[in-house]
Amino acid sequence: MSEAAAHTHGDVHDDHDHHEAPFWKQYVFSTDHKVIGIQYGFTSLLFLAFGFFLMMVMRWSIAYPDRAVPMLSDWPWFQAWLDNEGRVTGDLYNMFGAMHGTIMVFLGIVPLAFGAFGNYVTPLQIGAPDMAFPRLNMASFWCFLLGGVLMFVSFFLPSGAAKVGWTNYSPLATTTDLNFSSQFWTGQTQWLVGMVFLISSSLLGAVNFIATIINLRCRGMTWMRLPFFVWAMMVTGFLLLLAFPPLEVAAIMQLMDRLAGTSFFVPTGLNVNGIAFDAAGGGSPLLYQHLFWFLAHPEVYVLILPAIAIVSEIIPCNTRKPLWGYKSMVYAVMALGFLAFIVWAHHMYMTGMGPAVSTFFQTTTVLISVPSVILITSLLISMWGGSIRFNPPMLFATAFIPMFGIGGLTGLPLAFSLPDLHLHDTYYVIAHFHYIVAPGTIFGLFAGIYHWFPKHTGRQMNTLLGHLHFWPSLICMNGIFAPMFLQGMTGFHRRAFDGGAAYEEISTRVIAEPGTFVAGLFEKLRIVGEGQPVEMIDLNIVTSTFAWLLALAQVPFIINLFMSVYVGKKVTSDNPWDATTLEWATPTPPPHGNFLTEPVAYRGPYEYSVPGSDVDFTPQFEDDPAVVKKERSVKDKNVSADDSSKS
Amino acid sequence: MADSPEELAKHKKLYKYVGIWLIVFSCVALALGKIPFLDFGPPGATWEDIVIGLSVSCIKASLVALIFMHLNHEKGLIYKTLLFTFLFFVSLMGLTLFALADPIKESYDTLNTLKGILNFKS
Amino acid sequence: MEIPYEVSPRRDTGLFNSKLGIWLFLASEVMLFGGLFSAYVFLRVGVIEGVDTPWPWGINVHKTFVALGFINTLVLIISSVFVVFGWIALKERKWAKFQFFMYLTVACAAIFMALKTVEYRSKLTQHHDIKLLDNSVMEGKILEQTFDVPFEGTSVEFNLVGSAPGFLPDIVGDFPTFTAEWKQYEKGEDGSSEIVSKTTEIKSASEFNSWFVKARTKATADLVKERKRYRGEIAAKEKALYNQEEAVEPQAPVVDTKAKVTAAEPFDLHSRRRQVRPIVRSDSGKDSMTYIDGCTVFGKGGDDRIKFEPHYVDMQLVPVHKQKDSMVWDVLGDSHLKDAWYKNRDSAYQEMEHYYSGKDKEIPESMLRGYYINIQSLHDKAHAPSFWSQFWTEFKAGAGIGGSKSHDDHHDDDTHDHGDHAEHAADTHDDHAEEHHDDHGHAVIMVPRDQVKFLNSHGPRNGNYYAIYFTMTALHGLHVIGGALVLLYFVVFGKPLYLKNPEHLANRVEVGGLFWHFVDLIWIFLFPLMYLL
Repeated sequence: MSEAAAHTHGDVHDDHDHHEAPFWKQYVFSTDHKVIGIQYGFTSLLFLAFGFFLMMVMRWSIAYPDRAVPMLSDWPWFQAWLDNEGRVTGDLYNMFGAMHGTIMVFLGIVPLAFGAFGNYVTPLQIGAPDMAFPRLNMASFWCFLLGGVLMFVSFFLPSGAAKVGWTNYSPLATTTDLNFSSQFWTGQTQWLVGMVFLISSSLLGAVNFIATIINLRCRGMTWMRLPFFVWAMMVTGFLLLLAFPPLEVAAIMQLMDRLAGTSFFVPTGLNVNGIAFDAAGGGSPLLYQHLFWFLAHPEVYVLILPAIAIVSEIIPCNTRKPLWGYKSMVYAVMALGFLAFIVWAHHMYMTGMGPAVSTFFQTTTVLISVPSVILITSLLISMWGGSIRFNPPMLFATAFIPMFGIGGLTGLPLAFSLPDLHLHDTYYVIAHFHYIVAPGTIFGLFAGIYHWFPKHTGRQMNTLLGHLHFWPSLICMNGIFAPMFLQGMTGFHRRAFDGGAAYEEISTRVIAEPGTFVAGLFEKLRIVGEGQPVEMIDLNIVTSTFAWLLALAQVPFIINLFMSVYVGKKVTSDNPWDATTLEWATPTPPPHGNFLTEPVAYRGPYEYSVPGSDVDFTPQFEDDPAVVKKERSVKDKNVSADDSSKS
Repeated sequence: MADSPEELAKHKKLYKYVGIWLIVFSCVALALGKIPFLDFGPPGATWEDIVIGLSVSCIKASLVALIFMHLNHEKGLIYKTLLFTFLFFVSLMGLTLFALADPIKESYDTLNTLKGILNFKS
Repeated sequence: MEIPYEVSPRRDTGLFNSKLGIWLFLASEVMLFGGLFSAYVFLRVGVIEGVDTPWPWGINVHKTFVALGFINTLVLIISSVFVVFGWIALKERKWAKFQFFMYLTVACAAIFMALKTVEYRSKLTQHHDIKLLDNSVMEGKILEQTFDVPFEGTSVEFNLVGSAPGFLPDIVGDFPTFTAEWKQYEKGEDGSSEIVSKTTEIKSASEFNSWFVKARTKATADLVKERKRYRGEIAAKEKALYNQEEAVEPQAPVVDTKAKVTAAEPFDLHSRRRQVRPIVRSDSGKDSMTYIDGCTVFGKGGDDRIKFEPHYVDMQLVPVHKQKDSMVWDVLGDSHLKDAWYKNRDSAYQEMEHYYSGKDKEIPESMLRGYYINIQSLHDKAHAPSFWSQFWTEFKAGAGIGGSKSHDDHHDDDTHDHGDHAEHAADTHDDHAEEHHDDHGHAVIMVPRDQVKFLNSHGPRNGNYYAIYFTMTALHGLHVIGGALVLLYFVVFGKPLYLKNPEHLANRVEVGGLFWHFVDLIWIFLFPLMYLL
């Protein structure tokens, strides 16, 4: 009724769909959530590739610290950062390390997961014509792009990009690059400015998502009929909305420290290179860490929740079974979102926090594993006894579960302050969180791309190339990160740009005596010389090689992505996977405004293989009078309360 | 929404009074700070002054939030959102302070910190 | 395509989109300012006594300008009332009345920002702190802009890497004519490259920049070539060793990026203090000063003393038993100032004693070391000008009204007689002593730079209180500007929407108003935290 009223206001004067908007309005400054989603997707894929490139250079430095970097050593920009023999210097390693983290987290995965998939799929799944604030949506994207470009440009400044780790801890971050006359145009400052833009973009995005999900659900789409994807997006939105502002505060305060000379994070009596630092002092470096991790821990869930959400759409669809424990998953994801805010200081056990605080944070950290396990277990049980279609999206989705499991379980030792003393900042930590975000989240995102590709293009992605993408990626990912656990437990430090060669006691620890099978294998691959034992440091070469192979493994995906747009197999219906959620009710590709007729959700999101039905899926949008009637009589109260059109 | 003329007139009156009360409370806050006679505790701003000063601010803030921002009759959804926001804000402030002054850990700076908390003037 | 629930609320949630959106946005704003308030508490509580700069008392910092903060509080409250009245006028469909109230609101915002500007300017230009080596602090005013380090340069040395050398923006007056000398590789007649010295003449800043960029690019290109050659030689050596032939030792690349510019005539520099390291003086008269980016200026260092007008002395970081011999008294030189300070200190001490004896308690040590006793005026309180005259003087200075000080209206003050003070200033500027009195007859002293540990205006650098004060009020000010612009947009461009769908405009105004009230709400907490406590 109110909706009908809303229609009468606007429809008198316009009908945008009839005349074509100019190109720049349709594809560049578009307010259509789908176009913005694709924009987010492409930008973030580019940034992902760039972040990956940085990592490959770093891996070269770790594996072969005494050899010139191939191909790049003649590039003028690199000269300031290489030594005379063309080797990577510590500065370059630090810069790439910091920017790899920043780009992957803030410019790669979050925009791809939340910006691209969230934007494209959420309004479709709740049956909305667009986001609640389309222009805000556009502003959010351009804000993100501006922040990203600033970060990218900072590489080419005389100071180079930020180089004190993606965490940008003060006072190191405050005092680095201070020897430049124009403080504004240094990498450290640009990192902060870029961050402020990225955070603003995320905040606008989060407001938009939550408002859309709460207010723009179509008729019949009650809370418990929302696909799990939408629930996860809403929780992610809240995480971004409430956790990002403290980081914005931290960024602004650090910006003041650098530009206005304040000393928020500069303690009294700080000396830099033997010279007393010219500031009032009295600040607290710990304050920065608190503000930073207040965001950055929830950020971890911002990285993982969309992936879980995508996987939980794909698994029921390809096992032809309902999602097991939908309600418990919804409550679990809410609990996860809540707990994510009160675990942050487990990143700070080494800062000299007292035992009482550590105990509190250990407790909450262990508690938060409970909802995570609920989510993973539900997904696992969902596959039990299903007739599974192992197409590329499903392969990635299936692989996601054990990879995320490994990442999650190896996090448990880090949750306790005592083991953390040993493992803090070692390769163990790197392996732990990369298992979650690299084979975890990124596999989830690949699954999503394969899954929703036909919706936008009307063509399927190639299955053979999909397999060629998946299997090498899976092997390489494990080849990269599994040895890191070993190295980390030995004590390899993540910030050593020579891969730990300087620390002989650790790096020469023998893992296989000559003559054994492993040593023979290493000899054959020419990683160690003949008759030499395999030492811990030799694993660096294994890891790095797998990293470069992983880059090759992405080639089939890139080919597949671009080729399938033109020559992929055409889909025969709007619902090629026989899925049940609302996005498959739209035409292919969905027009501006999404639905041709007003969508109505008649039932829950995962009604696969309903007993008594002659097909193995019953979409949410399928009008089945019998079912509707039955539901009315059972849940009369529920339906009429939530259904806005019944007044 | 209460849109009838009588209701609106009533609202106008309410807003006027609230505005006057806000001004009165501002004057009270200023007087508490500036007039020596109204200075609670030892001279200067001590924790007594901080508690009293901030409670006056809280009264003013709740007037603005409840009346001007209509939080006295808002939808449940907004209360829920604000409740969570408030919880997280409290956890941010509370837990960072907790980390600053760990009751078990004894060290030079923590003792000083505790002193700072007990006696706000530092 | 039409987004539903833009105007009328959705039934089950009871909200229209923008209202939901603004509340979500305000939730994030609560966390934003919440983070800042947390930082405030964390920093204030975390002050280590006797080490860090103590947290000042807002009233001590702002003095008469507490009144300005108070007026701003009233202005914001009144503007909040105007916003709700405007919204009600819109509900009653009275466009003219709505317009009236909205313009009033925007006017309030303008007043708020104007007063804020006066306050900022006053702090940044009229108040300075000088911390001496023994941690005693003089509050007052630096006369003339001697923040900068004066230097008379003749030549500059720097490297052809990074950005242009830092001394460029500090040149005062006309750009001098420089002769630049540097080295680069050039192809000889036989095809081999060799290092050649080059010179050129530079007449303006833009010429300098273009020369610098060109020379730097060439130096980088030389480096690339040289390194390539070097790597080739290394490879050749390895190959030779492998074949057991005679190996040629590789020659490491030599690229000289040093450059030097010499001025035809000495030029004046006013170097920014944060950009330079202390002047290295030599007896031969050739002083040098190095910028933080590594460029070194040679020439003659200027007079590096600060002309200062002290008003208060802050002894919080000096132990009580050392206060009598503090170096601040030597620097001040005037025994009258010391007497006045101790007189004021004693009255504050008695006040404290009176309070604690009423409670049968000793004065706690922290109180003895605190600001109430240890920050005192160098002025006899009995002769202090009235609140409003002081406020007005400060206000005029902050607003930049009236220009230079008038010397006619001296308040003749008994605490300092001119002779006494002239004697002190005599060693520097003998005849100007008469000038060196401000309206209230403060003394003027010359502070030797080598006794100064830290000096600053009352800007954000001056300690954590000032830092958080400027950060929070500036962020709040940006919110005021943003909110006012939005409201202004509604009233200026809202007429067509009003005619089409007044309810839609009322919704927008309600949402804008919510934001405005939130800004008011933040100020309600900022005012006591920053000005009173």
